[in-house]
Amino acid sequence: MSAVASSAAFRKLRLRNFRNFAELELSFPPAGVAVIGDNGTGKTNLLEALYYLEIFRSFRGAPDEQLVRFGEEVFHVRGVLDGAGSAREIEAAFERRSRRKRVAVNGAEPDRLGDALGGVGVVIFSPADMTLVAGAPGDRRRFLDIVLSLNRPGYLGALQRYRQILKHRNAMLRSGGSDALLAAWDEGLAEWGGRVVAWRAEWIAEIAPGFARRYAAIAGGQTARVAYASSVPLGDTPPGAEAAAEAFRAELARLGPRERERGMTLVGPHRDDLAILLQRDGGEAELRDFGSGGQQRTAAIALRMVEAETVRSARGREPVVLLDDVFAELDPGRSGRILELLEDEERGQVILTAPKESDLELRRGSLAHWRIEAGAVLT
Amino acid sequence: MAVIDDLTGELSRLPGIGRKTALRLTYYLLKRPPEEIQRLARVLEAVAEQVRPCSECGNLSEHDPCAFCANPRRDPSAICVVEEAADIGAIERTGQYHGRYHVLGGRLSPLEGINPEDLNIAALLRRLGNGSVVREVIVATNPSVEGEATALYLQKLIGPLGVRVTRLARGLPVGGDLEYADGVTIAEALAGRREL
Ligand SMILES: Nc1ncnc2c1ncn2[C@@H]1O[C@H](COP(=O)(O)OP(=O)(O)OP(=O)(O)O)[C@@H](O)[C@H]1O
Ligand SMILES: [Mg+2]
Ligand SMILES: [Zn+2]
Repeated sequence: MSAVASSAAFRKLRLRNFRNFAELELSFPPAGVAVIGDNGTGKTNLLEALYYLEIFRSFRGAPDEQLVRFGEEVFHVRGVLDGAGSAREIEAAFERRSRRKRVAVNGAEPDRLGDALGGVGVVIFSPADMTLVAGAPGDRRRFLDIVLSLNRPGYLGALQRYRQILKHRNAMLRSGGSDALLAAWDEGLAEWGGRVVAWRAEWIAEIAPGFARRYAAIAGGQTARVAYASSVPLGDTPPGAEAAAEAFRAELARLGPRERERGMTLVGPHRDDLAILLQRDGGEAELRDFGSGGQQRTAAIALRMVEAETVRSARGREPVVLLDDVFAELDPGRSGRILELLEDEERGQVILTAPKESDLELRRGSLAHWRIEAGAVLT
Repeated sequence: MAVIDDLTGELSRLPGIGRKTALRLTYYLLKRPPEEIQRLARVLEAVAEQVRPCSECGNLSEHDPCAFCANPRRDPSAICVVEEAADIGAIERTGQYHGRYHVLGGRLSPLEGINPEDLNIAALLRRLGNGSVVREVIVATNPSVEGEATALYLQKLIGPLGVRVTRLARGLPVGGDLEYADGVTIAEALAGRREL
């Protein structure tokens, strides 16, 4: 584990008309807090608001319109943070009617939203993470893209450029342009796509041992691993951007005729997957198809843990950890081992939610306990 | 009210001008002395009547051929290809380029249905045809994905003609517009231009 100088931490949060919160102001203890309340009281909504300040989108993938409190027009989220030197203030507001979003860091609007991404340094563990394992390849690509956009400078720009080129090229394929015309788009597709592929390959190779170690630790002996299922054929070691672009070009040349027939680009990072494989005697099986609910939850938690590790090393500080009802559906053995791992690895601020008090306590029960009832938090 | 509304309507058709700004401009103009508005009207009329694309290079000018094509001191062996006539000004301000220009009138964009036929490409190929003295074509399209693809497409067309094709170095901000880039950046991009 790397030595980390400082920790990110939420000091204050202020919400106005966000989900079921009309008006909310909270001051968080540096170590964090456990928020306890019945189903439907706003626990996930609270964590959603905190995470909004990291990516300016709902971590659940909900459109901004849905985050505005019923019957209202505008939501505001404002957080004050410690860490990385001085206190920082990050705020976001969204207006339903104009669909306009305003973001400010220390009072100043960034030139591009992308410049303000990742300002908190936070990782969220949620029951919805099941889709990381059990969902479609697109869910896992979204995970890769968010983690890399937040932790690898340049990734988001390359991905956006790749997507733009891809849209043009698909339009070109549908309308049946000449070979010379298609070739004009191939170069950019391979160049920017090659960068995206190389970043993904490098990151997956980097986290693979950590994933396997954590999975085994939680599962108490069973093993699983992650691998990059890239549609661009790659060797065993992660290629550089150049080599990935080269492999991409070759594949485009090979698939050219079929792409024209189908009217779409058939290879590239937009068709990749992160394979999660369960190791059993005699072979491997996709956890997505063959894992039990508990096994899938275990893999999702291990993925979030390696994400936290990435945030720690990329940004040089302990991430804030948000835990949304993580022990639901897990047997006591697994829950206990997750707790031990988290206790051991996550030394920064922890904000966790649970529907009821439990004997599974982080920080040996030293965290403050708050009750939440229908959009009101009793601190 | 009708003419006032007409003016607001016309102004709001300009790029980057929404309904609100158009209204503000309308009432600003209405408060100016009549001579001033008439002068603006005369300039607009003159522009509409006299400015045409140069039949050689596509630059917008009241003379045909335009001042660049007609100037014997501009090096005829180099052509700098730009998306819009407005881009010429940005390159001229560097004072580093003394050749001719060619204006495409846009860039390839399959998503918007802009194809090679919609651009001033045929005239460029004519300029490079039999008996041409052109030895280098510098493609100065914007560094956007569309500008880059247009540059590559031109290279594929022009390369086989035995003319050297170069591209402005990527000193320009990615996604930026040539028109708005500053002189120093463009001068560096010109100096560092590379073979396509
Ligand atoms: N835009 C909105 N405006 C007002 N209320 C909303 C809005 N969106 C969701 N809600 C309400 O928020 C509540 C759900 O909150 P949340 O998902 O945070 O619950 P929770 O405490 O996490 O519950 P659980 O324990 O079941 O996970 C529901 O009552 C829902 O009606
Ligand atoms: Mg919840
Ligand atoms: Zn001319």
